[in-house]
Amino acid sequence: MIFPKWTNWLPLVLGLGAALAGGGVVAGVTVYLTPKYTRAGYQPVQPVPFSHRIHAGQLGVDCRYCHNGVEKSWFSNLPGASTCMNCHNQVLKDDARLQIVRDSAANNTPIPWVQVHKVPDYVYFNHSVHVSRGISCVECHGRVDQMDEVKHVKPFSMSFCLDCHRDPASHIRPTDKVTNLGWQWSTNAAEAATLQQVNGQKFVHDWKVESLQSCSACHR
Amino acid sequence: MKNLNHNSGSPVTGRRYWRSLDELAETPEFKDWLHREFPQGASEMEDGTSRRHFLKIMSASFALAGVAVMGSGCRRPEEALVPYGKQPENYIYGTAQYFATAMPTRTGAVPLVVKSYDGRPVKVEGNAFFPNSNGGTDRYVQASILGLYDPDRARLFKQAGKKVSRDEALAFLDTLSTKFAANQGEGLAILSESSTSPSRARLQKLIATKFPKAQWFTSDAIDSAIHQRAATLAFGQPVRPVFNFDKARVIVSLDADFLGGEDDAHNHIRKFAASRKPGETMNRLYVAESLFTLTGAGADHRLRLAASLVAPLAQSLLAAINGGAVAAVPGVDAKWIAECAKDLAANHGNSLVVAGQRQPLEVHLLAQAINSALGAIGNTVSLLPALESASGDLKNFDGTGTDTFVILGGNPVYNLSWAPKAKPANVVRLGYYEDETALKCDWTFPATHYLESWGDAITSDGITVAVQPLIQPLFGGLTELEFLARLAGESVTNPHDIVRATLGAGDEAWKKILFNGYVVDSASAGIAAKFSATAPEVKAVAPSASSLEVVFYRDAKVDDGRLANNGWMQELPDPITKMTWDNAVLVSRKTASDLGVANGDIVEISLKGRTVSGPIWVQPGMADYSLGLALGYGRENAGRVGTGVGFNAYKIFSGSYVENGAAIRKTGGTYTLACTQHHWSMEGRPAVREGNLEQFAQDFDFTKGYSEAAPPVVKSLYPNPLDEAKKTALHQWGMTIDLNSCVGCGTCVVACQSENNIPIVGKDQVSRGREMHWLRIDRYFTTEPSRRKPADAFQKDEDQQFEQWIDDVQAVNQPMLCQMCETAPCESVCPVNATVHDQEGLNVMAYNRCIGTRYCSNNCPYKVRRFNYLDYNKRPLTELKGTLYSTTLTHKTDGKWDLLRWWNDPNSGMRSEDEWDLIKLSKNPDVTVRMRGVMEKCTYCTQRIEQAKISQKAKAGASDNVRLKESEKTVPKTACQQACPAGAIVFGDVSDPDSQVSQLKLQKRNYSVLEELLTKPRTTYLARIRNPNPDMPDYRNWPYSHDEYEQLNGGSAETEKKGNS
Repeated sequence: MIFPKWTNWLPLVLGLGAALAGGGVVAGVTVYLTPKYTRAGYQPVQPVPFSHRIHAGQLGVDCRYCHNGVEKSWFSNLPGASTCMNCHNQVLKDDARLQIVRDSAANNTPIPWVQVHKVPDYVYFNHSVHVSRGISCVECHGRVDQMDEVKHVKPFSMSFCLDCHRDPASHIRPTDKVTNLGWQWSTNAAEAATLQQVNGQKFVHDWKVESLQSCSACHR
Repeated sequence: MKNLNHNSGSPVTGRRYWRSLDELAETPEFKDWLHREFPQGASEMEDGTSRRHFLKIMSASFALAGVAVMGSGCRRPEEALVPYGKQPENYIYGTAQYFATAMPTRTGAVPLVVKSYDGRPVKVEGNAFFPNSNGGTDRYVQASILGLYDPDRARLFKQAGKKVSRDEALAFLDTLSTKFAANQGEGLAILSESSTSPSRARLQKLIATKFPKAQWFTSDAIDSAIHQRAATLAFGQPVRPVFNFDKARVIVSLDADFLGGEDDAHNHIRKFAASRKPGETMNRLYVAESLFTLTGAGADHRLRLAASLVAPLAQSLLAAINGGAVAAVPGVDAKWIAECAKDLAANHGNSLVVAGQRQPLEVHLLAQAINSALGAIGNTVSLLPALESASGDLKNFDGTGTDTFVILGGNPVYNLSWAPKAKPANVVRLGYYEDETALKCDWTFPATHYLESWGDAITSDGITVAVQPLIQPLFGGLTELEFLARLAGESVTNPHDIVRATLGAGDEAWKKILFNGYVVDSASAGIAAKFSATAPEVKAVAPSASSLEVVFYRDAKVDDGRLANNGWMQELPDPITKMTWDNAVLVSRKTASDLGVANGDIVEISLKGRTVSGPIWVQPGMADYSLGLALGYGRENAGRVGTGVGFNAYKIFSGSYVENGAAIRKTGGTYTLACTQHHWSMEGRPAVREGNLEQFAQDFDFTKGYSEAAPPVVKSLYPNPLDEAKKTALHQWGMTIDLNSCVGCGTCVVACQSENNIPIVGKDQVSRGREMHWLRIDRYFTTEPSRRKPADAFQKDEDQQFEQWIDDVQAVNQPMLCQMCETAPCESVCPVNATVHDQEGLNVMAYNRCIGTRYCSNNCPYKVRRFNYLDYNKRPLTELKGTLYSTTLTHKTDGKWDLLRWWNDPNSGMRSEDEWDLIKLSKNPDVTVRMRGVMEKCTYCTQRIEQAKISQKAKAGASDNVRLKESEKTVPKTACQQACPAGAIVFGDVSDPDSQVSQLKLQKRNYSVLEELLTKPRTTYLARIRNPNPDMPDYRNWPYSHDEYEQLNGGSAETEKKGNS
C-alpha cells in the first residue's frame, strides 16, 4: 500500500481547511481593511497638549473662533499661534506647556500639528458648503468638545459620505446649531429622532437641499 | 432572391463552399455550435453574482498579501499641518486670490487677471473689466504661465560662465555706471527689444542724458513696428494706426494675417467677430496672401497670390479706387481687383485695407493711401500718437569702439542676422534663459518673468496698464527696469518705486491702478491727419520654379523662438498645418510636383548663398512657387524641451520677410512630421455646416436642411435615467460654439491645457495619436465638387497631397471637445461605470474608477477621449523626444536608481528635482492630476461649476436661493469660453430659457454634429455664414462644403437652390 489509510480523509480535511481559511480571510478583510478599522480610532499625540474638551466643551469657545476659514474655504484652517495668544497672553501666560505656542507667535515658526482627519485621495470635500447648509461638525468629527486629544471617530469611507448624501434629512439641523456639537432636537431620544425627521425633511425641501450622489459632486 | 439561410449558409444553388467537415456534414453539434454566440461555458461567467464574488475574493487575497508584507502599517503616513505663527489678515487658506496685471507684448500689452493659490499663480485670464475687453486672451498669454515654471530658466548670475553672487553682479553694474558717468557713456551700447513701457522709455531718456555718447538700439526678429513707421511716413507725423475691424463693413487684407500672426491678434479677433454677426452687420473679408493663414481661412474671397505680387495688387487696387484702369497683376483675374475695389468704394468710410507685417513699407504706404481715399482715416483706422523710442540703426553698428555691450532680453545671437565685427570687452546680458546669446556673453543676469515683475505698458489702444507681480522672483532675477536703473546709477532701483514715479500716482490712485489693472481715462485721443506721402511705384517679379519666393513668418506657437522651450506651445497643433513639434517648408501642390518633392522629403533651400535644410509639407491653398518658413525653430540651446526642434530658418533670413530667388534641392533624406490631423476632407459629412448670407436671410434651417443624414427616430428601449434626474436637478449644462465667430486661433486649446493640468506627451507620442488635448480644433479643407471625383473624398491621407483639388480650397475650423451626449455611447460600454452622467447633464469621468479598457474611446463617435498611455506627469522632459519610455527598474534620475527613489518616496517620478518642484507649482489644485492607465476628457470645467455651486449654496445658507443664474452673473465660465477672444464659445444653463446658450440654441444655425447617431449632444454648433460678393468672379451660391455634401449624398433638400451663378 503506497498511501496510508488516513489519506482517505485528506480531501475532506483539505476542503474544510480551505473553507475555514477562506472564511477567515473574508472576515479579516471585512473587519481589518475597511476604513472603519484603518481610520477610525486614530489619535496621534500632538506637539501641544491642546484640549478641545476644555476650550470648546468647558469654556464654550465656538469652533469658528479658531477654525475661522471653515465657512469660506474647502479647508477648515488651523489657527495661527497668534490666535492662541489672543487669550494666552493673559491666561496661563507662563505655562511651560505653551512654550511652543509662544515661540511660534513670536518667531512666526509654524507648529507642526499632526493631521488627524483626511479625506481619501481623489475626493474634493468642501467644508464651507456643509457647515453653511446645516451639516454640523459633529457629523464627521464626533464630539470633539468631549475629547482631550482629537480622535478620528468616523470611518470617512465613501459609504460614510453616501449614507448622509442619500439621506440628508436625518442629519441636517438649523444653521445656527451647526457648531453646537451636543445639540439635540429634544432631550428625549425618541422625540428627537421624530423631530429630526420632520424638520429635516422640511429643511431639505425648503432649502432645496440636493441629495447629490453623482461622481461630479466629489470627484473632479 | 434573398438568401434565407443562416449566417453559416452558402447559396443553395451554385457552388458550395464549406469551412469544416462538420459543416459539410451538417451535424446537429455543428448547428448547435453555430447558434451559440459564445462557446460552451462562456455564459457561466455572465452570472453577475458569481463573477463579482470571484473578483471580491481575488481582491481580498491580494489585499491580505499586502497586509502580510506591510505588517499592520495600513494607516496613512503621518503628515503635519503647519499653520501660520502670525495669522495674516484677510487670507484664508484654500481660497483663490485674483490680481490684475498685464503681459507686455512688442507693440502693446494684454491686460490680465491672474488666479493665485497660496501665493503661486496658476491661471491667466483676460481682464474683462478693461475697456472694450471681453476677457479674451491669446495663445501666447495662456502659455506664458508655463514659462514661469520653466526648469530651464536662467537662475544664476554668471561671469564668464561661472556663478557669481548677486551682490558681486550688482557691484559690477555699479562700476559700469560710475565708469560711464565719468566718460559720458563713451563705448556703451545697449541692444533691447521693443517695449511700450513708459518707465523704460523714461529710463532710456535718462540714460541718454546721463551718458550722451552711449548708443541705444531697439531691434526685434519679428518687426511689428512697421505699421507705426509706415503710418508716420504716410501721415507726416508720429502716429500709429489702430485698425477698427468692428466698424468695417469691407476689409481687404494685403497679406496681413491680422487674425493669426500679427501682433495684438486677440483684439483684432474680438473686433472682427463683433462685426461679423449674421443678421446684424456682417463684414466682408477679402484676403490676398501666399501662405494659408487663419485670416485666409476666415476670408469670403481669398486670392492665392505670391507675397511678392501683393505690392502690384495694392497698386492696382489704389488705381481702381481712384478711378484709373486696373493694371494687370500676373495670375490675377482683373475682375477680382475691379470688383473688390468697387465694393471698397461702395462702402466709403466703412472699408479698411490692412497690409501685413511681412510686407515691405511700400505696401503699407499703398494701403494707407487706399484707406485715405476711402475715407477710412478716423473711422476704421484710428491714428494714435506713436510710441517713440530713439533707436540707432543696428545695420550701421558693427561694435567697433564699443567697450561694453548690454543686451536686454531677446536672443540676438540666434535670431538677429547681425553680429558685431569686433567683440566688445564686456558683453552684459539680462536674459530669461541661458540661451545661445548667453553663451557668448561675459556677464549674464537672470531676468524675471512678467508675473514676478513690477512694470507698466501701453496697450495698442493707448491705455496705460500696470504690471504687478504675483510672486517673488523664483530665482531672484532682475527686472529690466531695475537693471537699467542700476546701470544709470539711479538711487531708486526698486522697480515698484520706478513705476510709481513714472505714473506719478499718489497712494490712493496707485491702489486704484493696481485694483483696476489700468490707469482709468488714460486712453490717448485720436489724431486727425491726412495722407501726405506720395504713393510709391512698385515693380515686382513673379516667382517661378527656378526663382522661388521665400516667406518668413512668425510662428503661431513659438513666436520668434522665445517660446521654444514651452511644451504647451510646441505641442499645440499649428492652426493651419496641424503640425506639432516641428516647422516645415510649406509649398503648394504645384510647386511640389514641379520640383519633384513630396511630404517629408528633406530639401536644402539656398537663398543668395545662404542655405538651410528642412522637410517639405504640401499645404493646400498655398501660392505657387512660394516657400513658407516658420521662424523660431532649430534652437541650439533652448532647454530641455526646445533644443533641436525643427530647423532654423533664421539661417537664410536677412531681415526682409519676403525674398525672391531661392532654389531647392532634394537631399534624399526624409523626415517624419507629427501632425494631429492627417485627413483634410470631411468626406461629405456635414460636420461643419455653412451657408452664405443669402441662405441665412432666407431662414435656411441648418439642422433640417441636412436632415437626410438622420435615420428615423426610434423610441429607446430603456428609459434614459437622465430624463428622470432632469426633473429635480438645479441646472442643465450646455454649450454652443459659433463657427461663424471662431477663427481657429487655438487660444482655447492652451487655456484648457492650463486649467485642467493636461500634460505634454512629446513628438513621438503625438505621431502615435496620443496627444492629450481635451479640446482640439479640427480644420477641414473643402473644394468645389467639380474639381474632384467623389471617390477622391475617401482618399488615403498620404495621397491627398498630390490631388489638384487642394490648390484652391476653403478652410473651416471646428473646436471639438466632449459633446456631453445625453445618450452617451461611451457610458454604455464602460465595464466599471467610471464614466456616467450626473443629474445636470454632465458626462463625468471618475478617474479613480477607471481601469483603462479604452472601450469608451473606441465607442466615442467624436473621438474626444484621451488615454494616458504613459505616466506623462512623471516623465522627464529630456525624454520627450525618444520613443522609449524607461521603467523605474532600469532608469536613473539625478544619479539615483528610480526604484529606490520610489521606495523612499512613492510620489517621486523619473524627473529631476528641479523639474519636479516646478511642475508641482504649476498645477491647478482644483483638478486631479491623472496617472498612467486612466481615460480623461473635457469635463465642461466641472471644477468651476462645482465651485460656483458651492459658493452659491454657502451664500444661500438656510434659504432656497441655490440656483446659479445668468442674470445674477453666478454661472461660471469654462476655461475655453473665458479665453476665447471671439466670444465663440458660450456655456450655460439650458434649462433656463433666458440664458444666452438657450437663446442661441433656438437659432436656425444651431445643429449637432453627427446628430443621426441620436447621441443628443449638449454641445451644439452654430453654422458658419459666409458673405461673398455676388459680383466677384469666384462667387458661388453655396460654400464648397455644402456642395460637397450634396455631391456625395446624391442631392438633398436644397437641391433646387444649388448651382453656380
